[in-house]
Amino acid sequence: MAPDQAEYPPELSRLPPGRHGLPRDFVVHNQRERLIAGLAEAVAEKGYGGTTIADITRHAAVSRRTFYEHFDGKDECFVAAFDTVSTQLRERVDESFKAEDDWAHAARAGIAAMLGFLAGEPNLARLAMVEALVAGPVVVERYDAAVQTFIPYFAAGREGRPKKVLKRLSDSTEEALVGGMVSLVSRRIVAGQTDELESLLPDLTEFVLAPYVGNDEAAKIAREN
Amino acid sequence: MEKGYRAVTVADIVRRAGIARNTFYDNFSSKEDCFLATQDFAVEESLRRVVDAAAEEEGWEARLAAGLGAFLKYVASEPALARTCIVEALSAGDAAHERYEQSLQAFIPLLQLGREDSPFAGDLPETLEETIIGGIFWVIYQRIVQGQTEQIETLLPDLVDFALTPYIGAESAQRATARL
Repeated sequence: MAPDQAEYPPELSRLPPGRHGLPRDFVVHNQRERLIAGLAEAVAEKGYGGTTIADITRHAAVSRRTFYEHFDGKDECFVAAFDTVSTQLRERVDESFKAEDDWAHAARAGIAAMLGFLAGEPNLARLAMVEALVAGPVVVERYDAAVQTFIPYFAAGREGRPKKVLKRLSDSTEEALVGGMVSLVSRRIVAGQTDELESLLPDLTEFVLAPYVGNDEAAKIAREN
Repeated sequence: MEKGYRAVTVADIVRRAGIARNTFYDNFSSKEDCFLATQDFAVEESLRRVVDAAAEEEGWEARLAAGLGAFLKYVASEPALARTCIVEALSAGDAAHERYEQSLQAFIPLLQLGREDSPFAGDLPETLEETIIGGIFWVIYQRIVQGQTEQIETLLPDLVDFALTPYIGAESAQRATARL
């Protein structure tokens, strides 16, 4: 079914209006993606509280009716957007992490991937790291859970360490490292410095590696090019 | 704060406080105003406790441990207030979030003292204090959300160790923490 003119105002449409011959599944999927992107743009402009359904559909260039075919309301659209962003971010980190042989360099690559992703997608960065906290209890719970999914990448740093190192690492080490990293990144986004996030790589690398490999080695790896 | 900030009404507040609605509006202009006043009170009180406890000790490591210990003790003794100021503050609007961020900054000077004695002073990242505080508050936040506020003082050795490690190295931090 091709969307009608009213549904895709030609001047705003990113899909050719009328009979573009695209399969319905593709159009539906594409509409959902557009709504999510539209929400991210609207939220970047007005904040979560100030964003209306009309803002989202205007940015997405779809009709209000289409919005309600996909989502019950703004909250549900936000949850979908948050899940999309956090999944993409984790995939990027995972891929970069797994491409390295030793843990310290894998951790560094994972942090670099996270910073690169967020710096390259300022709207999504703001949505996932700042607006998520004010978008209601459901999203906050998802945010907390998403942050905790990064813990295993750090915990992998324990593998193969000498006993005396393992003994002094506490149960909450990884949680504190992840929390510290996330809070620094969020603060930079709030301060309007999203495009400079990648400059945090040496600092964050040193901070995260130190408990496992020692301060000197952490500082050395942090400064490698 | 059993309902979360968003769901709480002025009616809930006056019922729990056992005061008249008029009395509420004699003191505060809105729910937000009342929230911010609560935050101001708690931030000032916790800061006073941290500074007093730290002043009683000699040496940076002991001061940091005493300050953090006093903070955790305060959190454990006031679970509802802690939830308000450490969990709900994040989602209670821009003004509340800003106050929360400012209150974290209060811990920065206490940490920065560690640079003076640090054998790694030349290598320490500029962002270190912000990151350490963010990590400490993330762990505290998680415990409160999980309903473990009353046992929060058991985190003290781990959090002190976490804060000291970047400045003095993991081995020295472990020795200092063992003395707690």
